[in-house]
Amino acid sequence: MTLLAFDGVTKHYGEELVLDAVSFELDRSEVEVIIGPSGSGKSTLLRCVNRLAEVDNGTIRFDGEPIGDTDADELRRQVGMVFQDFNLFAHRTALGNVTLGLRRVRGFSKEEARERARRELEQVGLGAQLDSYPAELSGGQKQRVGIARALAMDPELLLFDEPTSALDPELIGEVLAVMRELADDGMTMLCVTHELGFARSVADRLTFLEAGAIVERGDPERLFTDPRSDRTAEYLSRLTGEY
Amino acid sequence: MDAVAVETAAILVPDLLGWVPLQTGGDWMFVWENRRFLLLGTAVTILLTLASVGLGFLLGLPAGAIEAYGDGRLQSVVSTVGVALRGTPIVVLIVLFFFGLPIPRQLGSIPVLDVRMSGFLAATLALGLRSAAYQSQVFRGTIQSVGEGQLKAARSLGLSKPAAIRHVVLPQALRRSVPGFQNEFTIVLKDTSVVFAIGLAELLRRGYQLFTQPGRQGAIIEVILAISLIYFVLTFTTNRLLDLLDHHYAIPGGES
Repeated sequence: MTLLAFDGVTKHYGEELVLDAVSFELDRSEVEVIIGPSGSGKSTLLRCVNRLAEVDNGTIRFDGEPIGDTDADELRRQVGMVFQDFNLFAHRTALGNVTLGLRRVRGFSKEEARERARRELEQVGLGAQLDSYPAELSGGQKQRVGIARALAMDPELLLFDEPTSALDPELIGEVLAVMRELADDGMTMLCVTHELGFARSVADRLTFLEAGAIVERGDPERLFTDPRSDRTAEYLSRLTGEY
Repeated sequence: MDAVAVETAAILVPDLLGWVPLQTGGDWMFVWENRRFLLLGTAVTILLTLASVGLGFLLGLPAGAIEAYGDGRLQSVVSTVGVALRGTPIVVLIVLFFFGLPIPRQLGSIPVLDVRMSGFLAATLALGLRSAAYQSQVFRGTIQSVGEGQLKAARSLGLSKPAAIRHVVLPQALRRSVPGFQNEFTIVLKDTSVVFAIGLAELLRRGYQLFTQPGRQGAIIEVILAISLIYFVLTFTTNRLLDLLDHHYAIPGGES
């Protein structure tokens, strides 16, 4: 069952073409990983899904509806986003970061919101950090708050924009573990990441994006072992260090 | 204190006392006898400051937000009015508002304080609007200093732009505004003295009335020193209170 569908999506920033007729479909409960060199349009692609960026041409359908037809705030409630640099609300505790959307968007009472937020934070292993402020948390903890904040909205789809790129290497594992758990629970996920191990073991689809266009898309294992495009082979071998 | 210091003090202190006319007790007695008169002026100064800074905040915060986020007409109107207000001497504004605005003169006086209502209103408008023009720049700056990612994260949860600004940007911007606001508060407090120009009986005006009485010109230094001391106590207290506010609302661990 298709949850997200791109159909000939094109996007410019000024003169520059950042997305070039991108088409693909993502089924419910599937995990898709997008890789590609920096500037290839990966982040822009994610932002088009929750309309933080608007497309120039083509259609994006979410749950069958063109996203241009739905209210952007309503769409964003259903599509969670996790950011590279966390973007936690600096003036709110971990708990406060999660309750804001529950209170102001989903209309939870104060107690309901606190209860739900506590559960989400316990789920990502932060039951002891409920009252910590972002500046008091490690990078890995911050990103797990970011994930809990997105999950609390009960999204249909989660977007991950390089969730581990700003982390020290030893903190990456704890974030990937949470993401793996989500995938196992059947969350639909669209992830921009350079974590090839995660792509290989968790993703159902792997997409290689370059210069705004999809070069190759398919089963991750197949892309690693038997890429059809030379560019894919070259990029993957460079990432894995197999020169 | 060691012996040398005591000796030095013994030589210097009478000298200093001779330079600053402190030993002529009569003029200080005169100030003391008129303390109630001066304190009423202090009350006028405080009232005028609170009203003006309050008005300045109520108008300056939205103006700052419009300058930071608005687009087109509204933004250019707000910023033009701001430039005009910041570019006009405060005495000119006060005189202009007092004589130019149709404020009914028969509003009477504020009881006890002996201040005409019409003058007080004109002064509050002039000081308040000018303060709004300056406060808007404080708030515009701190609003813009809150990272774009904060707004993006709030919007990605489904908060509308006004809700995101209110619940995410403003709480952080207001915390960062305290030092600038502190400055502005002190400036308005001291600038209330220019309502002198329309004869409002605030602190400086009342001091002037004291030492211009026949035979009292000799007390001018004492009166001015006493008034300065009162202004100092007021600014010092205000700054301390705002420091406390700053510490109370500081984000634990700083900002990340």
